[in-house]
Amino acid sequence: MAKNSLYAVAADNFRKDPDLLVDAKNVCMQFKMPSERIDNIKEFAIKLIKRKIKYKKFDVLKNVEFSVSRGESLALIGRNGAGKSTLLKIIAGIITPTDGFVLTKGNVVPLLKLGAGFDMNASGKENIFLNGAMMGFSHREMQKKYDSIVAFSELEDFINAPLKNYSSGMISRLGFAIAVDVNPDLMLIDEVLGVGDIPFRNKCAAKIDELKRGGTTFIVVSHSMSQIMTLCQKAVYLENGSIKMQGDVKEVAKAYVADCEKLGIKTQK
Amino acid sequence: MKKFPSTALGEKLQPVFAGWRKGAITLSSLVVKNVKNQYRRSVLGILWTVLNPLLNMLVMAFVFSSIFGRAGIEMDYPVYVLSGNIVFTLFSAASSNAMTCIVNNYDLLYKTKVPFSVFPLSQIFSACVNFLFSLIALVAVMLIRIPNGVTFHWSMLMILVPWLPAMLLFTAGVSYFLCTLYVRFRDIKHIYSVILRLWMYLTPIFYSLSSLKLSETANEIMQLNPLLHYLNYFRNIISGVIPDWREHLIVYGVGAGVFAIGWLIFRLSRNKFILHI
Repeated sequence: MAKNSLYAVAADNFRKDPDLLVDAKNVCMQFKMPSERIDNIKEFAIKLIKRKIKYKKFDVLKNVEFSVSRGESLALIGRNGAGKSTLLKIIAGIITPTDGFVLTKGNVVPLLKLGAGFDMNASGKENIFLNGAMMGFSHREMQKKYDSIVAFSELEDFINAPLKNYSSGMISRLGFAIAVDVNPDLMLIDEVLGVGDIPFRNKCAAKIDELKRGGTTFIVVSHSMSQIMTLCQKAVYLENGSIKMQGDVKEVAKAYVADCEKLGIKTQK
Repeated sequence: MKKFPSTALGEKLQPVFAGWRKGAITLSSLVVKNVKNQYRRSVLGILWTVLNPLLNMLVMAFVFSSIFGRAGIEMDYPVYVLSGNIVFTLFSAASSNAMTCIVNNYDLLYKTKVPFSVFPLSQIFSACVNFLFSLIALVAVMLIRIPNGVTFHWSMLMILVPWLPAMLLFTAGVSYFLCTLYVRFRDIKHIYSVILRLWMYLTPIFYSLSSLKLSETANEIMQLNPLLHYLNYFRNIISGVIPDWREHLIVYGVGAGVFAIGWLIFRLSRNKFILHI
């Protein structure tokens, strides 16, 4: 009851503030992992009878709270396994947190893996429409985008060849071209920037810049400090699932780099 | 800058409609992909969906008419076998493909915003498309068998409505249940293939129930097989017999019940899938 009313108040405030894009309140994600993996019935039955299924509770995220305003891109930083990608999936609405909630507004486009859902047997052209459909665009809507996607990916000559004959760089290029050809309010990016060769990377950076000027706000997971400094204004530093620090991107990144250097880990400059 | 509608009702309904529309677009493109991939790079392509049940029927008609005999079957035997075959294939293909689809599409599920429920459904509709193609085979065989006394009846149109929706409800329910179970226990795949085999022999696909000369109790037990009712209904409307209200009640009652249970189990376990995949 208390949780529901808390949610209602937060949702009401969130709706009233037109500039607020994301509001995360007390987000907790707990995985209950069986101490050994049981995936067949015989073992499960035996363990159940013996009451031997032990679960290890594992907190991926603990009481994470932050908000994102329009035009204020956010970087999520932290070491591997700090919960950055899980948080991104929760914001995208792909998984639901065990406690707390995340409110989002507008068109949210997750870009967690380039070419997720590509069909290797189908041609590049078919995949453009298939991938578009996964994002909810009808065939006709994709028809309008088709030319610009192909032009951006620079794959004109190979667009009718099956995807299994593409190089990995080409697949990433196609994935990126499809993903950025929408005009989202909020874009979630999980370490997928910096694909392809140097000219294509520059092209991606220019496209991201263009989207940003067009009013898209980003939430980025990245280990490249230079990248997040140019793209984001704010940062959240996660450590073992909790927020260690949040605020201005320069200060937070500095603190993170300092922490890493203390551990003797060199970060990408 | 984009604007968001601020009316309370619009705000509540718009995402629902947008979600449904998105799901429908995703579903249809997945079905097209599944059907295309089935026969990619084969010379005859989609023609195989018609040829396959035909050839199967020939084998079954050839083998079983001499082994089991045609005792108790009033229907033309090739039509009898083919109708049993395509109905059972619809069910078995849909349910066994849907069973593994959540696990197989792991990548897509946790990297994009596609709703989980779309995947089993896409397998069911793909099987349904194949079924519609195999109806062409059925019509072809019936045409060939006209000299042997096969006649066409208007009631055959009842295959599309009301038979097919009831059949799909039942299949979807079983599929949602199986794919939930498969996420947790991978053994199901092996167990289910055996169950399907048994189920096939227990369903009068190439024999008739009356020729088995079962005791009354055994006969009643056989009547518990839902597929038997769907199949009887199907054969009745082909041969011009319109089933009475009891048969309608059975196919829709079982269909709705099984669907409700399967869907409920799927919905309740959906959030835990990530732990087991």
